[in-house]
Amino acid sequence: MAKVFVVVEHRDGRLKKSTFELLGASAAAGNETHAILLGDGVADLAKELGQYGASKVHLAQNPGLKLYTAEAYAKVVSDIVKAGGADVVLASHSPTGRDFMPRVAARLNVGLASDCTQLAFEGTKIKARRPVYAGKATVEVEFLGAGPQCATVRPNALGAPKADASKNAEVVNVTPDLGALKTKVVEVVQGASGRPDVTEASIVVSGGRSLKNAENFKLLEEMADVLGAAVGASRAAVDAGFRPHRDQVGQTGKVVSPALYIACGISGAIQHLAGMRTSKVIVAINTDPEAPIFQVADYGVVCDLFTLVPLLKEEFKKIKEH
Amino acid sequence: MTWQTFAFLIVAGSAFGYSGYRFSILVKLMKASQGKSNRWDHISDRIQTTIANVLGQRAVLRKKSAGIMHATIFWGFLIITVGTTEQFLSTLYQGANFEFIGHTAYSALAMAQDLMTAAVLTAVLYACYRRFVVRPEGLGKSRDATIVLMLTGSLMAAILLMNGFHLLANPEYASAMPVSNMISGLLGQLGFSVDTNANLGTTFKWIHMLIVLGFAAYIPSSKHLHILAAGPNTFLRTLPREKGMKPINFEDEKVTQYGTAKISDLSWKDTLDYYSCTECGRCQDLCPAYNTQKPLTPKALILDLKENLYRNKEKLLAGKYDEISHVIDENVTEDVIWACTSCRACEIACPVFIEHTDKIYDIRRNLVMMESKFPAEVQTVFKNMETNATPWAFSSADRANWTEGQSIKTMAQDSNVDVLLWVGCAGSYDDRNKKVLSAFASLLKKAEIKFSILGTEEQCTGDPARRIGNEYLYQTLAKANIETLNRYNVKKIVTACPHCFNTIKNEYKDFGGNYEVYHHSQFLAKLISEGKIKPTKSLDETVTFHDSCYLGRWNNIYDQPRAVLNSLPSIRMVEMKNNHDQSMCCGAGGGRMWMEEKIGKRVNVTRTEQALDTKAGIVASSCPFCMTMLGDGVKTKDMTDKVKVMDIAELIDQATP
Amino acid sequence: MHDASEVQWGFGDITKMNIYVCIKQVPDTETKVKLSSDNNSIDTAGIKWIISSYDEFAIEEALRLKEKNAGSTVTVLSAGPARVVEAIRTALAMGADNGIHVELPETADNNMAAKALAGALKKEAKVDLIFTGKEALDDGAAQVSQLTAEYFGVPVVTVVLNAEYGAASVKCKREIEGGAFEMIETPLPCLIAAQKGMNEPRYASLPNIMKAKKKEVKALKAADVGVSDADQKIRYKNFQLPPPKQAGKKIAGEPAAQAKELVRLLHEEAKVV
Repeated sequence: MAKVFVVVEHRDGRLKKSTFELLGASAAAGNETHAILLGDGVADLAKELGQYGASKVHLAQNPGLKLYTAEAYAKVVSDIVKAGGADVVLASHSPTGRDFMPRVAARLNVGLASDCTQLAFEGTKIKARRPVYAGKATVEVEFLGAGPQCATVRPNALGAPKADASKNAEVVNVTPDLGALKTKVVEVVQGASGRPDVTEASIVVSGGRSLKNAENFKLLEEMADVLGAAVGASRAAVDAGFRPHRDQVGQTGKVVSPALYIACGISGAIQHLAGMRTSKVIVAINTDPEAPIFQVADYGVVCDLFTLVPLLKEEFKKIKEH
Repeated sequence: MTWQTFAFLIVAGSAFGYSGYRFSILVKLMKASQGKSNRWDHISDRIQTTIANVLGQRAVLRKKSAGIMHATIFWGFLIITVGTTEQFLSTLYQGANFEFIGHTAYSALAMAQDLMTAAVLTAVLYACYRRFVVRPEGLGKSRDATIVLMLTGSLMAAILLMNGFHLLANPEYASAMPVSNMISGLLGQLGFSVDTNANLGTTFKWIHMLIVLGFAAYIPSSKHLHILAAGPNTFLRTLPREKGMKPINFEDEKVTQYGTAKISDLSWKDTLDYYSCTECGRCQDLCPAYNTQKPLTPKALILDLKENLYRNKEKLLAGKYDEISHVIDENVTEDVIWACTSCRACEIACPVFIEHTDKIYDIRRNLVMMESKFPAEVQTVFKNMETNATPWAFSSADRANWTEGQSIKTMAQDSNVDVLLWVGCAGSYDDRNKKVLSAFASLLKKAEIKFSILGTEEQCTGDPARRIGNEYLYQTLAKANIETLNRYNVKKIVTACPHCFNTIKNEYKDFGGNYEVYHHSQFLAKLISEGKIKPTKSLDETVTFHDSCYLGRWNNIYDQPRAVLNSLPSIRMVEMKNNHDQSMCCGAGGGRMWMEEKIGKRVNVTRTEQALDTKAGIVASSCPFCMTMLGDGVKTKDMTDKVKVMDIAELIDQATP
Repeated sequence: MHDASEVQWGFGDITKMNIYVCIKQVPDTETKVKLSSDNNSIDTAGIKWIISSYDEFAIEEALRLKEKNAGSTVTVLSAGPARVVEAIRTALAMGADNGIHVELPETADNNMAAKALAGALKKEAKVDLIFTGKEALDDGAAQVSQLTAEYFGVPVVTVVLNAEYGAASVKCKREIEGGAFEMIETPLPCLIAAQKGMNEPRYASLPNIMKAKKKEVKALKAADVGVSDADQKIRYKNFQLPPPKQAGKKIAGEPAAQAKELVRLLHEEAKVV
């Protein structure tokens, strides 16, 4: 049984699902599970943490913690971890977690296993496995030397735990010492479109010339929005003026490697393949069973995209609602 | 000494003196360029081509009506000049003439000159009709051309009038000069006195001589300079036609400038090219870039480079090379340079053998290697070639995957073969082209030809790098391939890609790679003619063949692919309007396969339309790039259910048991 | 919140900056990964090595900053085995002025690398700005930029898409999730970890490639920068290759059934939705 400290992630007054994952996994393994909650005016979030497995919440509040800053998080988390005698420190490998955890590790002079896709607890230690070479291999991480074992975990890797309304956590208030902060977050800005960039999205829905015109791409956009996906296009679609060049996937456009790539009405010419071949899962929808795209697809559907895509959208909706 | 002699000496002296002075500047400008060009090889071939094309006007006659017109003027002048010389001499030394050759001979000479003068005048009138009434696009507006035509026309008129009046005074050779004699008859009706006629004859003689001298003074600043430059330009043309691009010696530490940044980086031969240009526009007529609204036209390129040369004249003559302006300016823009597909239609069409493409590619070398300026999408291509020896983003370890299930050996497994099959990057990685290679390999097996491939030891020939201008990357790949080929002691190579074919056959020899290289169309033609491959299944289809630039214009291979296709029973061959050396490029050459086409109409769509016009059900090609381009074109035109694009190997294989 | 496009990005009027870029040499992305016989490392035979692509954005940003500020220099550092000198030369060919190589064993972890880089930086007279890539293509852990900054004692901003440089501070546009950005201001000296799209890395010109071949790269040993084996905190072992990609499944049936089956497979089998 280990003393596990989980750094909580929240935004706009809501706790992130990844936090529940970490708490749930730690508690399920029978560990003494602590949550570190930083912020300003976030006391009522502490209750939910108990329902997902935390026995103790270290609540550090300060106006300087209202917005996430790496420097402040690094300082306060390290202080709490040192004072609390943690065996294991966990955070999500989110943009926030992957940003501050290395700094925590440096201050504690310990190693950090980043972006773990498997995590198990063995006594006071963790057994972590992470992908390397863009997922072409995975490795087990061995921690050397003394000190807490730190890890960031890939969101969704550990599975969603269930809340237990009967469970409660003890809340301990901590007065955080932010130190002399040099970095200042001036503001947070929303991007131009709510949709992620095609190169960084974990799901990409892409369309080819068979969409026939720009308006028809709305079909793909609607399905993409259900999935939180980006919308890409083949060179033929971009050349025909259906989509802007920045959405072009291919050797002369963007090279993408999402977890899921859905190619709708794309034949799969070599230029396009060079831009999406390394996607983890490829789905091809095309009326031509001989289209080269089926050679690289994990799942192929010989069907008219105009019929299939609306049906898929509804099916995805059902999944998302559960 | 008569006043005429005196006056003539002054006038002619001034005219020729001025002309000579201007001419010497032109020669000095030629020498001021720093590029090198060795043109003294194959002397007997050079003499032959000069006789055929200059004296015989062969290249000019490729276009029938304009050709006959020009040939008439050219041959006419060769003969008329004899008469002009005689006139000059008689002005210098009173009474001098060529009659000493004998009455019969002189009569023949007089008749020839007389007929040719009339013929030239007719030709000039036709030229005016063509230029001002028909107005073919390639000619464009030219005040220079108008002046030349006017001068030439009036020169002929002056000669005929001179002869006409002279014959009234001295009709000795009247019967030998039918045209002048007829004019003489008309002039006689004016009823002038004998003295008046003689004086008018002398007047027109002077007019004729002054026009000639005026011409001489005008020529250096006119496109008519071609009469002096075209002959030497023909003699000094690149031989043979199957050529490669010239390598740069990177080991030479004295060389600090790679490629052409300034007009002075080109050579004296390039300058001679500018002087030879007649602005006929034949180069432009077939240029795929020009005809699809790209800013490049070979004609404007040559004239713009000439303008750059003249603009920098003072600095060139003073040797102030640092101050010479960049070759890229508002006329020769980067878009102009990148639009070229290296199809060489311009060079094949040019009647004075100007070499347009080498200049473009030398400018590219500077842009790429010295300034790192090239279309952004090309950087990925360079990186891919550097790390994985292929322009596409695939692993070099996967190069032989296409052979799975086909029992094809590599040279490492068995190098004791009849021929090495050079697969190329398209054959290795492009799904469509893998089928072509499988078909060709199947044919080789059916013909019992023992072959192997290099497999993962094969690297890109470097053709894309060289055409885009990255000579350094090209040489790295070429040298690696040659080392591998020589290690296996390879003698004979066959490949299905004209780019690989051209590079290995014509360009590897500069780096110690000397092999017997065949394109698969040649190889198949031979196997079929020897009966080793017998296509028996009939192909009841209309087929049109697209001539690839690197096979046709670059290497003169037109007949073998057609012979291969004609071996298919029941096939109906139909030619596109533009075929053989007039074939339109598919748009992929010159490294353009790897670049985005952002300006104007698509080259490949234009060529596809030409193919579709033949109503053929199959468009046959023998090049992976042409096949991709035409295939895309057929898709764009929504004709995929009616027209198929296929390689000749595929057509033969499916017809051969 | 307002539109980030209103910010004036650019290179301020600063002179004589000493700019540093930390780079990592990694296997080319097309490499087929083969495991060593004991499964505790990969087989490096036949691997083509390149500069990690995020580091290229870092090098390019440093070069642009130098070009805008007369008298500035760009120094490239890399910590690793002897083979990484080639990567330093490639960076020199792009236009960097100096190169520093800290020799570390093939098995060194991120902590050792960061300590080595920080140690080398500490030996330099004046460090105004440090660039790195936001993560390395091979490891993908995204640690070294933060670790190095901590050990060197400067602030660090990660995943930077754009930066505005002043004489004493820099304003960065940092990418976070959902297409949103943070605008972060930090004093110099600091470390900036570049994200893809920060700029377009240049292609090395041939004269620079030739010059780089002859440039001297400063060689440091681990001990010179205060790094020992005790600084290794992580070791990778038990490498596993993912199961080989199965041939694609073609889903048959009527469209409604196809849609249902596809989504089921994506959710339950592939686990990507």
